[in-house]
Amino acid sequence: MKKLAICLLFASVISLARSAEFTIPVESYKLANGLRVILSKDNAVPVVTVYMIYDVGARSEEKGHTGFAHLFEHMMFEGSQNVPKGAHFATVESNGGTLNGSTHPDYTDYYEILPANKLATALWLESDRMRSLAINDENLKNQKEAVKQERRLSFDNQAYQTAIVDVWPTLIFRNWQSSHSLIGSFEDLNSSSVADVSKFFKTYYAPNNAVLVLVGDLQIPEAKKLVETYFGNIPSQPQPKRPDLTEPAGLQARTETYKDPLARVPAMVIGYPGPKRRSPDYYALNMVDAILTGGDSSRFRLDLVKGKKSVIQYEANLGWPFANALDYRDPEPYAIFLLYNPAVTPDQMISQVQNEIAKLQNEPIDAKELERVKTTMRASWIKELQSSHSRALELAQYALADGKPELINTELDAMLAVTPAQIQAAAKKYLTADRRAVLEIVPAPAGGSGPAAKEDR
Amino acid sequence: MLSRSLLVFAVAALELAAQTVDRTKPPQTPPIPSYKLPPVYETKLPNGLGLVLVEDARFPLVTVRLNFRAGTKFDPKDLPGLAEAVASLLTEGTKTRTSRQISEETDAMGGSLNGVAGADSLTISGSTVSESLSRLLTLLADVTLNATFPQDEVDLYKQNRIQNLRAERAEPAFLATEKLSETIYGSSPYAHISPTMESIGKLDPKVLAGFRDTFLAPNNATLLLIGRLPARAGLIDNVTQLFGAWPQKQLPAAPDVTPPAPRRQIVLVDRPGSVQADIHVGRSAPTRLSPDYFPLTVGNSILGSGANSRLFRNIREKEGFAYDAHTEYITKRDAADLAVVTQVRNEVIEPALRAVFTELESMASTPVPADELTNTKNYLSGIYLLRLETQDGLATQLNTIQTLGLPNNYLETYTTRVRSVEPGQIQAVAKKYIAPEQDAVVVVGDASKIGDAVKKFGAVTIIQAE
Repeated sequence: MKKLAICLLFASVISLARSAEFTIPVESYKLANGLRVILSKDNAVPVVTVYMIYDVGARSEEKGHTGFAHLFEHMMFEGSQNVPKGAHFATVESNGGTLNGSTHPDYTDYYEILPANKLATALWLESDRMRSLAINDENLKNQKEAVKQERRLSFDNQAYQTAIVDVWPTLIFRNWQSSHSLIGSFEDLNSSSVADVSKFFKTYYAPNNAVLVLVGDLQIPEAKKLVETYFGNIPSQPQPKRPDLTEPAGLQARTETYKDPLARVPAMVIGYPGPKRRSPDYYALNMVDAILTGGDSSRFRLDLVKGKKSVIQYEANLGWPFANALDYRDPEPYAIFLLYNPAVTPDQMISQVQNEIAKLQNEPIDAKELERVKTTMRASWIKELQSSHSRALELAQYALADGKPELINTELDAMLAVTPAQIQAAAKKYLTADRRAVLEIVPAPAGGSGPAAKEDR
Repeated sequence: MLSRSLLVFAVAALELAAQTVDRTKPPQTPPIPSYKLPPVYETKLPNGLGLVLVEDARFPLVTVRLNFRAGTKFDPKDLPGLAEAVASLLTEGTKTRTSRQISEETDAMGGSLNGVAGADSLTISGSTVSESLSRLLTLLADVTLNATFPQDEVDLYKQNRIQNLRAERAEPAFLATEKLSETIYGSSPYAHISPTMESIGKLDPKVLAGFRDTFLAPNNATLLLIGRLPARAGLIDNVTQLFGAWPQKQLPAAPDVTPPAPRRQIVLVDRPGSVQADIHVGRSAPTRLSPDYFPLTVGNSILGSGANSRLFRNIREKEGFAYDAHTEYITKRDAADLAVVTQVRNEVIEPALRAVFTELESMASTPVPADELTNTKNYLSGIYLLRLETQDGLATQLNTIQTLGLPNNYLETYTTRVRSVEPGQIQAVAKKYIAPEQDAVVVVGDASKIGDAVKKFGAVTIIQAE
């Protein structure tokens, strides 16, 4: 009886996820200057998201310029030919909207969420800075300070964060493009010049290196007209190259210890180099992640938090910490962050995690558990699509990474099609101790009462 | 023929528009549109359980909130953290379900179910795909009525809460919020924001069940359902079946939460090794039911909400002292507080603190210019719309109405009331609540680096972070 109920649920939710009312409308086209445009209409609430994504991130930085992509992102809010300093914020907020920008390993994004009839306002702002960013020394100096303050606030003054941003990438990557610090060093930030900013702008912030996504209460013909008006005559530039992210062959397991003066509870990052985006193994490892850490009945919660009473908090996903399954662009790891009970040693913690993985490698997952994991995955997918902002973000990623924004309507099916045999095979191929990187973060209060640090192994 | 020429005309007009746009000025756009909330249906079961139903058919999901007036302000003096522990442990075992069964059942319906305690309320939140709603409600009723607080789950909760508290206490923002709250609220039950190591040690199944038995009663609760709902009569029958026999209880009187009169105090929480100083400057403020609430909301927004606020423009963009500078106006049911929050590098603590005081004084001494006021009213009206985009957003707004005891038309009239605020009203409330003479000042940082600078502002109490 119970089994029947679960089967019914399974079947009915699948049909819902595929049913016509669930299709996100996607209309995509390209302007003459190469700007890719995606429109998705939803008239339920009079709100629109304008989301601009540029195909450049921290992995495009050059040696001596760590943190530059992020510093540049700050410069994008400092004004342009027709938008004085401060007016970007003022214009969005005084029209009832909100905004932000963020820098990632492989992309940089900017968005405005506004009442729907303010669409032109956001397009005016986004196009003016793409066309004519104001690059001067005063703005640069000021934003260097803001970025350094951001580094102090979000990393240097927080437990665990410095280890994660500066040290973890050096363990899981060996190509400098991927292994350097995304937030950057003060030394590199200080050395950036106005000429560097101008060059980066011309190279990467061109219409042909960007995708513009509009989601919400749109009138499509009107929206197209406005996009052409504001962006149509911004000149294109030579197509910039993606950085060479090839990792050297001959990977070896690595473990390092970081003594953290601000931490009070031990933590650990465990990661394994991951597969190619949207390959069968990518979907399989995404399912592995959901089995291990997805819902309240995930294996980490039931076996490690509850059973072994060792793990206190956990986070994990493909691409952790700076990417996720959606914006994952290889090479990226599958990585796990744990805060754990000080009564457990780091070696015990590592072997408990590896044992959980061994179970996945050695025993096929039973049908009932897999069904539950898939149901959870499906429900969170639907929940995520509620806001225009997250719909825009998904459309932009599928456009940028795959050239197919319409994947927003089919990718869930691909994620759910994973079989028990594929899960076992991917766990065996990727999540083995000989490809593993471990960063042990050991509390080391200034007074010296923390546990003695171990040497690197 | 006619339609064809119209089409040509339309295309020509489009091209004309594209050529003549004036890029030097922001586009002219219509005023922020009004938005009618989906209808809110309210009723009560005979035992007093409030029921609020909102049909939102866009997605096949339902968001559920069961709200009790039973938050951390009801924690006994020697047991801070009790409400929070009850909320967390309700879903860790009932008379007929283990913790594991509850989590497996929840996940099997693609749902979620968990309890959270705020200052005034304990809320059990859930969500599910629509066709599993009755299963989620069954589970919700079970954890509400039959939680057993199993000893091993309580022990694990205590063990992990102690470690989490140690981790929280390593964060400067936590230390600053904790100390400012104690300073503003004094002996009021609103003063504590977390448990202590000692109080966690005192938790046991009996004390948890005691709190549950006292406060979790139908006449103290409202059940909110938002989403694609089944037919109303059947849904009400379902809720009645599950919760109808739940007996009413005599509820204890709410504690006196009146905060002490505000006064200037400067506290430096010494956190050796800090590379920044976290500054929190604040005091008690009026609740949402006060006539001062809307003028102060608008004034507070001008001062410190968003990237166009005065604090962001001056402390960050002009001076480069900080990455973040904002205000927090936190309204509880029976009291509220208003604070400036910023984190500055050690060397500039003195000018930064002076700049904060200057901004606060200016709100009281000078009327807000008309265009700045209009901009902020637009901002608040637009943000209101943005918050209603998701089921969760609307649920949170409606839950706040229950928690704070606000009138039913609060959301409908919000924008109108924001729009009606005048500069004179803002200046009047700024003199009462924003002028900094009686503000408490809490700084978390390395006393050996910033102590002398902080002492320039008056007598300083220095306490250790650990």
